[in-house]
Amino acid sequence: MTTTYDSAATTRILVVEDDQRIRASLRLALDDEGYVVDEAPTGEDAVASFTANPPDLVLIDVMLPGMDGFSCCQALRRESDVPIVMVTARTDTQDIVNGLEAGADDYVTKPFVMKELSARIRALLRRAHPLAQGDTGDMASAKFGDLEIRQDEGVVRQDGTDLHLTKTEFRLLCELAAHPGKVLSREDLLDRVWGYDYFGDGRLVDVHVRRLRTKVETDPANPRHVLTVRGLGYKLAP
Amino acid sequence: MTGATGARHRFRRLGLRTRVTLLFAVGSMAVSVALAAATYATARQFLVHQGETSIEHQAFVNGSLILADLRSPRPNLPQDLLNLDNGPNTDSVVSIDGKLFASSVTGRSNPVSPSLQALVSHGTPATQFTLSSGAPALVVGVPLPSVNAIYYEISSLDQAARTLRFLLLTLALGALVMTIAGAVVGRWASGRVLRPLANVAQAAADLAGGELGTRLDTSGAADLSRLAASFNRMADNLQARIEREARFTSDVSHELRSPLTTLSAALGVLDTHRDEMPERSRKALDLLDAEVHRFEAMVADLLEISRFDSGVAELSLEEVEAGELLHEALRAITARTRQADSACEAGIPVETTAGAERLRLLIDKRRIERVIANLVDNAHTYGDGVRRLVIEAPDPAHVRFVVEDRGPGVRQDERLLVFERFYRGDASRSRGGTEGTGLGLSLVAEHVHLHGGSVWIEDAPDGGARFVVELPRGHEQVPGPSSEQTGTRQRGRKSSPALLGTAS
Repeated sequence: MTTTYDSAATTRILVVEDDQRIRASLRLALDDEGYVVDEAPTGEDAVASFTANPPDLVLIDVMLPGMDGFSCCQALRRESDVPIVMVTARTDTQDIVNGLEAGADDYVTKPFVMKELSARIRALLRRAHPLAQGDTGDMASAKFGDLEIRQDEGVVRQDGTDLHLTKTEFRLLCELAAHPGKVLSREDLLDRVWGYDYFGDGRLVDVHVRRLRTKVETDPANPRHVLTVRGLGYKLAP
Repeated sequence: MTGATGARHRFRRLGLRTRVTLLFAVGSMAVSVALAAATYATARQFLVHQGETSIEHQAFVNGSLILADLRSPRPNLPQDLLNLDNGPNTDSVVSIDGKLFASSVTGRSNPVSPSLQALVSHGTPATQFTLSSGAPALVVGVPLPSVNAIYYEISSLDQAARTLRFLLLTLALGALVMTIAGAVVGRWASGRVLRPLANVAQAAADLAGGELGTRLDTSGAADLSRLAASFNRMADNLQARIEREARFTSDVSHELRSPLTTLSAALGVLDTHRDEMPERSRKALDLLDAEVHRFEAMVADLLEISRFDSGVAELSLEEVEAGELLHEALRAITARTRQADSACEAGIPVETTAGAERLRLLIDKRRIERVIANLVDNAHTYGDGVRRLVIEAPDPAHVRFVVEDRGPGVRQDERLLVFERFYRGDASRSRGGTEGTGLGLSLVAEHVHLHGGSVWIEDAPDGGARFVVELPRGHEQVPGPSSEQTGTRQRGRKSSPALLGTAS
């Protein structure tokens, strides 16, 4: 089972995990799938390694000695829109939401099934290069009120100024923009943006929509563009 | 057992408050009756003594008047008797040589007893208490030896007796009032004294009911604050102990996760190379893989249950439609079973009563999806698969999710037991024998109770077991469109009015 993504040999994954055995087993597994693996036992090491060898994807354990996973995630997010997967301890606490709020694109809970983690990693990497397929339609650019979405350039402008969106947020916005006025359910969005239908969790969509709103809405509490249709999903309005 | 000890036992069985009240009443009654008796005796003695003295004095005066009359040349005895200055309650009798002359015209028999007559006839004045036509009276005999006569005066003591009766009545009433007052004071005082004890009892009941944070106020009276302090110390220890146990489960599960993650990742590596392995190694790998998955599920379930035990389980409420929820739960099950390469019957029939699938619920989606998934798993493991799923609305405030299986049903005596942790019923009933974590149904009960709902087992109409989950539809207020994602968080309630919570 090797990744189908082109030039897999040069795809670097940074594993931030304090447990040495988990790091070793993850290195084995990811190495097996053809990724180059960098290891960091602490958040501080992760930030250093990130600058030295910029990875294509980062896997961060929430519980780290010293700088915790959330802070580490925020620190990396300030520097880059690299896809980040959080490894959380619990399924029902704030951990997941906190991780996503800190800027993670996705999460897995410990202990995770390796196949599931691989699937998520592949989906995230695929998403990081959206222009390869152009699967969101032939829309090169679209305007929604004060928002200008230039998919060909990978930028969103509001009244002429560039907004800094992560790749996931950008994909989310593009998917909504590709179906103007149409309601997309959480499942639709999980499928189209995250690229898997059944691992998903509605919270992924909800938290990303919330984060997107803080960037594209003048008043995130009363959104004008990214609207919730209760019980159905989300839609984009001019 | 003798009658006395029996009575003592019966008395002890009465409430402390009743006993104190009774003792107060009896005590005040004894004191007031004793006081009344003393007062009565003193008053009586005083009245009688005073009456006796004045009557004797009067009798001697009258006796000397009669003597003067009898010595006079023309004695006119009856007229003189009438002329005596007597009150209406006094009769005078003069006996001359055994012949009686009475002042009263009522012609009654001689009221003077023979013993008194004998005593006085010897020449000594004497007095005697007697009854004159039913009323107490004092008879005074004054010998008049110079004229060979005796003067008797009979004074009724009716007035004094009436006074004494009135006094007795007053004193009895007073004693009664005192007794009642004593009972009232006793009841009030015991209530006051026992109120802190009632607080302790309530706190102990709360503690027993699972409210581990219950503490007493130690700022009260000194001797009670010692009790309160000891109680609080006990509660502290109890809480610490329970929390330590809950934390232990949680810690163990947490610690197990790291090695499990390593195992899982290493297995993933082996799995990618399974084609290069000989048959025997592949079989071993499959076994290892299946068991690691079960181990993972068990640790996840243990963690979940430890969160209930330590009271940190919280509801993360969101609004969903009943039908949508059920279908999402089924989709997750299908995905999971497909992933685990095991057969799962596709297309479980879902039935709903009129419009029930469109019902909006405010629930914790993740938990209820787990509930449905665990019930479906249970149906596969113990019930030969799911016959059908039903959504019902028994009343406007509740919704029911029903899972019916094709199995032999659940025996009446096992219907509560199956929700116990690690309960393994009749092993022959399980198809796989070792499938599942043993925590599935107990987690179902916990999740449902956290929602304030209940879960129970019935016989399905066409055989098999029917697991019914009844949930309240949630609060009336619906979150606004923009705040929907946030949802509402709610602290776990330890005591929910649920079927399983009350049965034991």
